[in-house]
Amino acid sequence: MDTLAKLQILSGAARYDASCASSGSRREGAPPGGTGNTSQSGICHSWSDDGRCISLLKLLLSNDCRYDCAYCVNRVSNQVPRASFTARDVVDLTLEFYRRNYIEGLFLSSAVMQSPDQTMERMVRVAETLRIEERFGGYIHMKIIPGCSSELVRRAGLYADRISVNIELPSQASLQRLAPQKEKAAILEPMALIGREIQESLVERKKIRSAPRFAPAGQSTQMIIGASPETDFQILRLSQGLYKKMNLKRVYYSAYVPVSDDNRLPVLAAPPLLREHRLYQADWLLRFYGFSAEEILSDDAPHLDESFDPKTAWALRHPEFFPVEINRADYATLLRVPGIGVTSAKRIVAARRFSLITPEGMKKIGVVMKRAKYFITCSGRPFEKTDRQPALIRQQLLLGEGSDLMSPRQLVLPGLYV
Amino acid sequence: MKRYICDGTSDGLLSAIASILEEEPKPEEVTLSAREDTLFEEGLFIATDTVRAEDLFSRLKERAPDAAHTIYFLMLAEKEGMENSLLHYIEQAFMHGDKVNGYLTHPAVRDIVTVSRKAARELHRMKGLLRFEKLRDGAYLAQMEPDHNIIQPLAYHFSRRLRAQHWFLYDRKRRTAASWNQGSLRFGTIEQFTAPALSDDEKKIQAMWQAFFKTIAIPDRKNPRLQKSNMPMKYWKYLTEKQGE
Ligand code: SF4
Repeated sequence: MDTLAKLQILSGAARYDASCASSGSRREGAPPGGTGNTSQSGICHSWSDDGRCISLLKLLLSNDCRYDCAYCVNRVSNQVPRASFTARDVVDLTLEFYRRNYIEGLFLSSAVMQSPDQTMERMVRVAETLRIEERFGGYIHMKIIPGCSSELVRRAGLYADRISVNIELPSQASLQRLAPQKEKAAILEPMALIGREIQESLVERKKIRSAPRFAPAGQSTQMIIGASPETDFQILRLSQGLYKKMNLKRVYYSAYVPVSDDNRLPVLAAPPLLREHRLYQADWLLRFYGFSAEEILSDDAPHLDESFDPKTAWALRHPEFFPVEINRADYATLLRVPGIGVTSAKRIVAARRFSLITPEGMKKIGVVMKRAKYFITCSGRPFEKTDRQPALIRQQLLLGEGSDLMSPRQLVLPGLYV
Repeated sequence: MKRYICDGTSDGLLSAIASILEEEPKPEEVTLSAREDTLFEEGLFIATDTVRAEDLFSRLKERAPDAAHTIYFLMLAEKEGMENSLLHYIEQAFMHGDKVNGYLTHPAVRDIVTVSRKAARELHRMKGLLRFEKLRDGAYLAQMEPDHNIIQPLAYHFSRRLRAQHWFLYDRKRRTAASWNQGSLRFGTIEQFTAPALSDDEKKIQAMWQAFFKTIAIPDRKNPRLQKSNMPMKYWKYLTEKQGE
């Protein structure tokens, strides 16, 4: 099989992996005689037909899997064309693409070939060849194959900018049912190991600047949404734990795309894109807006609202918090206003150092008022003549353009931010 | 209201601003524009003085480095009619230091910051969207037609990234070029451009990238609108993956 044919099979098999971020790592300038550096903020090189950012050459080393995870196209029981790259194939492709500025670097994952160790060994060889032989300084993101030895995890972390172990499904019960060959421990242990190694390397590098770096862009994970029965509340609490306890940089959510008529899986007419979109929004609230999972959802209301983004939904449940006075509220409070994001909140704080902000001023500094206007005052004056009845606001938001019902246009996909 | 005029160059502009800020007791009450080719000049002409212009810029760099950065990008934007806004922006920058960029309710500040941001955004975009092709002699060439004159910072970016290869950037709109070879970066103009022959395996590599681009999209999630809003069509002309679609 020639490289082109392999590439078609093995990039097609990798496309359901959501992570594509190339940010968070800084390798200044290419290594002597070599090629490539990384950019702290990440760079998108193209956008594919589904509108997602292409930053990395995303590949499986092989799709020839021994395992039989129900939700996966590559499962052993599925009839699909199989292919495997040699380490050299991947190294050459990465370099040729990088030199033409098609990509920021490589994202390498794989199906389980003969064994987790044998597979991981070959993946590490790719990274090793790129970094040592070819002096490649671009971005490398590597997946850890659950069940491989901790020695291989350590080696991967020395060459890669980011490593990740996919948590796959939001609960152990679902994992057992849908991915019987994968064990929870085989997923969580390497995650904990990576977390410790990252910490240690940071401490070491404070003492000795030349100490080896371990996955400088941190670790991320991914889970599939809609292939198993967990609620959004369970999912968000899991993510919250991963951010807080495991120090993860990102959790990615991937709407389950039906690839199998296995009867253990739900029958879906289409991938649950709106749900995925809402989860990303809620995830942002956890990471950047100071919300906790328990504020966003509860056991009584365990699912994210379909009509409203999670922040608006929270605001409608908490009329006592509003209106927020634009000229006085602190940054954290501004961030809780629907329609005011990190950029707007920062601009408001920066602009009011100079003078009180008027309603026109809000427009001038570029704050979009569509949703915000129902929740704020400007020097005591309301923007809208509303009596602030949540029911009425709810209706106005739904009727007006304030609602973003089903507009995955706004999908905030991994890319530019963090 | 007092009116001043200067010649259209950036040095002319900066020296006029330096002179106004030094000599006018109330600079917020004067206006500045570029000289136009009309018979009647309305306003006082301030002659270009390179030393004075440089002095102003280096003082600004010290007092408000972010503002100096903003002005750098403003210059790349090559937008006409910004003289008056720039005068008042710089005046505010000396007053408030780097906080000035937050003063978006001030019309001049907003003007300058908006235009400058656009240039910075295009630079960031082009860092990703620029495409090199390998030529027969082993060098690499990338062509572009950006809205802003970003070749200098762009070349600087690639000089740190693609250090081991010999490459050229060519801005077809402005006929300017940058070249990098063995550690030296040079800028120039190319009046007569003829596309050089490609290396033998170039089409093969391009075909692989095109194949990757197609297969990496999830068919159930096609979204051409999102694709176009992230990657405006004006950039497709030189995108390898968008050729022959
Ligand atoms: S191990 Fe990975 S590639 Fe193999 S079936 Fe499971 S999810 Fe798919």
